[in-house]
Amino acid sequence: MDIENSPRAGMWLARVAVPAPGASALPPVQPEAVAPAAAEVRVKVDIRDVDFFYGKTQALKNINMSLRDRRVTAFIGPSGCGKSTLLRIVNRIYELYPNQTATGEVLVDGQNILASTFDLNAVRSKIGMVFQRPTPFPMSIYDNIAFGIRLYEKLPTSEMDNRVESALRRTALWDEVKDKLRQSGLSLSGGQQQRLCIARAIAVQPEVLLLDEPASALDPISTQRIEELIAELRPDYCIVIVTHNMQQAARCSDYTAFMYLGELIEFDETERMFTHPREKRTEDYITGRFG
Amino acid sequence: MTEQAIAASATPRPGAGSRKLRQAERVGSAIFVGMLRGSCWLFLLIVLGLAAELIWGARLSLRKFGIGFLWSTQWNPVTEQFGAAPFIYGTVVTSVIALALAAIVGVMAAIYLAEFAPRRVGAYLGLLIELLAAVPSIVYGLWGLFVLAPIVANWIGPALQSVLGFLPFFQGTIYGVNVLTAAFILTLMIIPTITAITRDLIVAIPMRFREAALALGATPWEMAVKVVLPSVRRGIIGASMLAFGRALGETIAATMVIGNRPVISASLFAPGYTIASVIANEFTEATSDLYLSALIELGLILLVVSILVIGMGRLMVRLLIR
Repeated sequence: MDIENSPRAGMWLARVAVPAPGASALPPVQPEAVAPAAAEVRVKVDIRDVDFFYGKTQALKNINMSLRDRRVTAFIGPSGCGKSTLLRIVNRIYELYPNQTATGEVLVDGQNILASTFDLNAVRSKIGMVFQRPTPFPMSIYDNIAFGIRLYEKLPTSEMDNRVESALRRTALWDEVKDKLRQSGLSLSGGQQQRLCIARAIAVQPEVLLLDEPASALDPISTQRIEELIAELRPDYCIVIVTHNMQQAARCSDYTAFMYLGELIEFDETERMFTHPREKRTEDYITGRFG
Repeated sequence: MTEQAIAASATPRPGAGSRKLRQAERVGSAIFVGMLRGSCWLFLLIVLGLAAELIWGARLSLRKFGIGFLWSTQWNPVTEQFGAAPFIYGTVVTSVIALALAAIVGVMAAIYLAEFAPRRVGAYLGLLIELLAAVPSIVYGLWGLFVLAPIVANWIGPALQSVLGFLPFFQGTIYGVNVLTAAFILTLMIIPTITAITRDLIVAIPMRFREAALALGATPWEMAVKVVLPSVRRGIIGASMLAFGRALGETIAATMVIGNRPVISASLFAPGYTIASVIANEFTEATSDLYLSALIELGLILLVVSILVIGMGRLMVRLLIR
């Protein structure tokens, strides 16, 4: 699993490739283009030549992208552009649906998780995911958090209590629920439920966090809390957030990927993307001319 | 909260010009609500009327045997000594065994159909299981008598006796027509109810909950058992109660395979009798008023037992699921 030992070790230092105008495919990242300053932000997930199909319909076309560790990457784009689809490839959750297929490589720490031989459940425990609408399980708040931990670890009660508490503290939920840990997770408000789901995801100590429009079903205050939470978690995880709220992308991400009609149009540092987009389509989208 | 506030402020205020229309609307809706309310009260009336009729019909027996009718094991039309205990026992034992077996098999089948079977297989198998619910009980009875009873007598019975023979339930002579065979038949008859309802409930669970479980690293099996199943436990209890109600009242199939002997014996291999069976069998032969009255009282007991079962199911839902 160690990136240093992987055959792709050099890859994660590569600068993000930017597509030529009008090109439908991105050139693969060139290993020569190593920027020494990027060494601290190593690539955690490397998406290479990924195509995706719903049945016979191609939903993603030759996506190449590197997601950096301890950074937040935002996927933006109009509805149906494939940003959620791309996110769902990173933990292969799309496989739940028999007619969905992906080709190409997704390297997590240098290992291709799209390879059919890969131990999917192990990789999923390393990659947390939070969905658009909250998904509290029909069990107590405590058991919701403990659920993922119990799948892989057998912990004594006191240690489990600590894990649950620390996950709830990280998501700023502890003070709100510490007196009702035995109550159903469904008894919480929508915003609390979503933070519970984030707590459940980080309780298994993942390395990557995939957030699929985590705040789009929430009120503004809950949304703000989620964004604060993302900033709080940023130093420890490789976070990917799908959003169709551009302000949200601008506020909480380091890198932004703009997708349109199944293609990755532009991928750059967020600041640069929002001030000097290279692509006309990106500019049109972020200035609200379409989408 | 905020949504309500928005909805309240957005409620349109109808103009004064439409007063006539609103009047008509009000009358119409009053009639409609009245009809809805009426259909609910109708059910209450029917149940009450049924109970009253049964009590009235059973008055001779109620007066003669009193509460002792419930635990008397006598059933002798010649001496006019009647007691309900063997029938209550037979009914409850066959139904409880049937429910236990059917709940396990039915829920497992539902999980397979909804979560693991290939879509087409699931659709066809589901249809088949629902068809089982449409098979007339007389057909189950015939099959039970000619196919299942010999199997129980020659295979299942001896096998159970050799393994669990130390328990009183599996001792003694193994008859073909016995309590166990009746329980098996009832199991078959109520599985479709449990499976069909449970499957529909499972299918209705939004996919995102499955995705959430899998994304945490759960295997499909763990997802099904730890997330999907708890989500529908309330519905499963409801389906089981429905099925239990059917098993309690099932008449013809049970009659054909239970042996129809009003005795209480610990062994499941011995013949028994159920309330519904004895009513069906002896109603036409009830020569005296007291005999008839005793049979009607059995009907009353069956009604009360059924209501108690449904009530207990409700209570269980409330206690188990907060």
